[in-house]
Amino acid sequence: MAGTNLDLIEKILYHVEKPGRYVGGEHNQIVKDWSQPRTKWCLIFPDLYDIGQTNLGLAMLYQILNEREDILAERSFAPWTDMEQELRNHQITLFSLENKQPLSAFDILGFTLPYESIYTNVLNILDLAGIPLLAAERGSDYPLILAGGQACFNPEPMTDFFDAFVIGEGEEVVLEISSLYAASKAANQPKQTLLRQLAQIPGVYVPSFYDVSYNPDGTIAAIAPKEEGIPGWVTKRIVSVLPPHPRKFLVPNVEIVHDRMSIEIMRGCTRGCRFCHAGVVNRPVRQRDVDEIIPAIEDALESTGYEEVGLLSLSSSDHTQILEITRQVHEHFHDQKLAFSLPSLRIASFSIDLMRELKDLKPGGGFTLAPEAATERMRAVINKPLDDEVFFNTVREIFENGWRGIKLYYMIGLPTETMEDVEAILATAIKVQKIGRSILGNRVKIHLGIASLIPKPHTPFQWLPVESPDSIQQKLDFLKAGTRKAGIKMSYNIPDSTLLESWLSRGDRKLNRVILNAWKNGAKFDAWGERDNLRIWRQSFESAGIDPDFYSYRERSLAENLPWDHIDIGVKKEYLKRDYNWSLQGRTRPDCRGSCFTCGILEAFGDKRPAEGFGYWGCP
Amino acid sequence: MNETPVRVRVTYAKGGNLRFIGHLDTQRMFERALRRSKLPLRYTQGFNKHLRINLASALPLGFTSVAEMLDFWMNEPLEPDLIRTRLTKSLPAEIKLLDVRLIENNLPSLQGSLIASEYEITFPDHLSAGQIENSLEELLRGESIPITRRGKSIDLKPMILDYIFTETEKNQPLLRIRMSSSASANARPDDLLEKMGLDPAECKVERTKLIFKE
Repeated sequence: MAGTNLDLIEKILYHVEKPGRYVGGEHNQIVKDWSQPRTKWCLIFPDLYDIGQTNLGLAMLYQILNEREDILAERSFAPWTDMEQELRNHQITLFSLENKQPLSAFDILGFTLPYESIYTNVLNILDLAGIPLLAAERGSDYPLILAGGQACFNPEPMTDFFDAFVIGEGEEVVLEISSLYAASKAANQPKQTLLRQLAQIPGVYVPSFYDVSYNPDGTIAAIAPKEEGIPGWVTKRIVSVLPPHPRKFLVPNVEIVHDRMSIEIMRGCTRGCRFCHAGVVNRPVRQRDVDEIIPAIEDALESTGYEEVGLLSLSSSDHTQILEITRQVHEHFHDQKLAFSLPSLRIASFSIDLMRELKDLKPGGGFTLAPEAATERMRAVINKPLDDEVFFNTVREIFENGWRGIKLYYMIGLPTETMEDVEAILATAIKVQKIGRSILGNRVKIHLGIASLIPKPHTPFQWLPVESPDSIQQKLDFLKAGTRKAGIKMSYNIPDSTLLESWLSRGDRKLNRVILNAWKNGAKFDAWGERDNLRIWRQSFESAGIDPDFYSYRERSLAENLPWDHIDIGVKKEYLKRDYNWSLQGRTRPDCRGSCFTCGILEAFGDKRPAEGFGYWGCP
Repeated sequence: MNETPVRVRVTYAKGGNLRFIGHLDTQRMFERALRRSKLPLRYTQGFNKHLRINLASALPLGFTSVAEMLDFWMNEPLEPDLIRTRLTKSLPAEIKLLDVRLIENNLPSLQGSLIASEYEITFPDHLSAGQIENSLEELLRGESIPITRRGKSIDLKPMILDYIFTETEKNQPLLRIRMSSSASANARPDDLLEKMGLDPAECKVERTKLIFKE
């Protein structure tokens, strides 16, 4: 195909909802001359533009790749169903936003997979691009198709579709991949040669070079390289120091979700909450200096005109300069009519001091607290210790400082959980409401958010089964009835989507067939929950001859080879086992900034650790 | 903030990809461009401060224009040329500034004084000038041209104020038409095209002029 028929695209855009999603043209968009010889990347976020465009990872890679003269990077997203229908009706292949080029005309398609519920969208996008879905059916005349992002720490369910996965942080490795690709293309090498070289880049996983064998009970016997020279396991990539923050964010022309700019102040977390995937796969902790953060916010505001800024990290209170950051934010920006958000604060009065600095900037907004469990016993199990007294004192202080709304986040389906623990969630929410009313009267608003645990790969809970939907539903019903009576707003994850996420995140290579079936049977946008997708998924498991319960409801033995064992996140499996056992004993593990518990990060990456300067890691 | 507000009137063209950006999105795009421009912008007073900005008229999705207008306010006067330079730098490339001037504060609002718009419409190649003229004239011979918008019945006929058929430089048929654009009677060319039996997506519509009360 020589290019996209622009006239035809314009015509179909009249017939779709929110056409601005598909046209690009944003302030700070980078449009390079397509006719120049360059390595051409298309970065694809396989969800709606409205969801994907503000993704910070996408913004970072877009900038890093486009900074290079010899590389062009454009964007594409999953079209909504109305647009998909128009594209199919008019036989238009899916195109990039910048030069409106068909995806098949690019050298490399880089998919971001931040969560699993968009796996079917990946297949749909490849199909809309006229590209064979299976990597084995694609020769050198098709783009190299890569995936990266948080979901790729278990790449196995999607190994049939991607040529390679980037495990871990992409900032450096994308340039290495690009150079290798350019050299290979110039030398006219076959695809197999390119893949073999890619497999040598640290952090790049080429699944076709691995054999997976199974035991009679369906568990994995071994995952082994097929040939000499292919590494036995793939260690994730990290950047030793966080690279300069992107500043020239694209400013969407249409209204999107989380329409604000994000500034990453810290990466990684030392807290060690046992349910937390992000906390374990993103180690070690790396901070940005306040002297870098403030100018980055200044520049980014100047180049975007945004009115809202999110300061991102997994645990804001743990940044060693956090008070200084909020103080300087206040000092620099208090007269600019901006709103700042600071997520993931610890439950302590210190957090109120931080929020007070930001609150003055723009009044309103609520305070979010995430104790995750309502009894001290359960909080020891998940390793998020918190004294009830500290919690309620913090709540009191929040109301005394004038915040009228508190959002409380809890999890259910945790190991060793009894109805008593669930009842405690309701009792706590009601007590918070009571404290609020005693200080501020009836104006207080309590919001209870309930998530059900999905024991994720690489976490200390990875061996656990998912709780059954019936049991989850029973607990939700109890909470729903109680909150309704008390006048507390409650939101929760639908048990169906929890189940789907558990299959896709905990699966092995057999899931590839199921995902393919599900897409063929019409599954897409699985996260939207509006469609009858779970029925499709159950049928797809059935026609593949695979029992979904094997992935969700089975407790795995500590001796079992897990599908993701060859993906090395730096944290050792032995460490996770020990932590799992501690959990069952109700034993907590302190924040590891104080003393090292040898999780494995320093062993794996110690040689990359900066000797001095602010880029030091959270490890002692 | 006691300074006398300075009112700025901007005339601009909107084309390319930005024709697919709707009215509210266009307004937000201008707000952000204004913030980027670092002009001494004036905000509304009160609890929720927001930028004072006022667009003349919503341009239907898909249309281009060479005649859009908006007002915004600043806290101190600056040379129009300087305002123009800063705004040009901060706007997406597909917005072209045509005119920037400081105007009297007591002038009526753009929305309040707009009465009509002029459009230029080109048609798909397979239609002859005669066919197009006939379909419009046939419509106008009727008592009324009823359309429904948001469940309400509206008569387009009295809102068609003037029209002329002519040709583009490439000798394609071109319709120049003036239609009501006031708050009480707002006619949309795409409604008319549909009544003429045409698919608005197949035509190209450009707004060429906004007409205000004297």
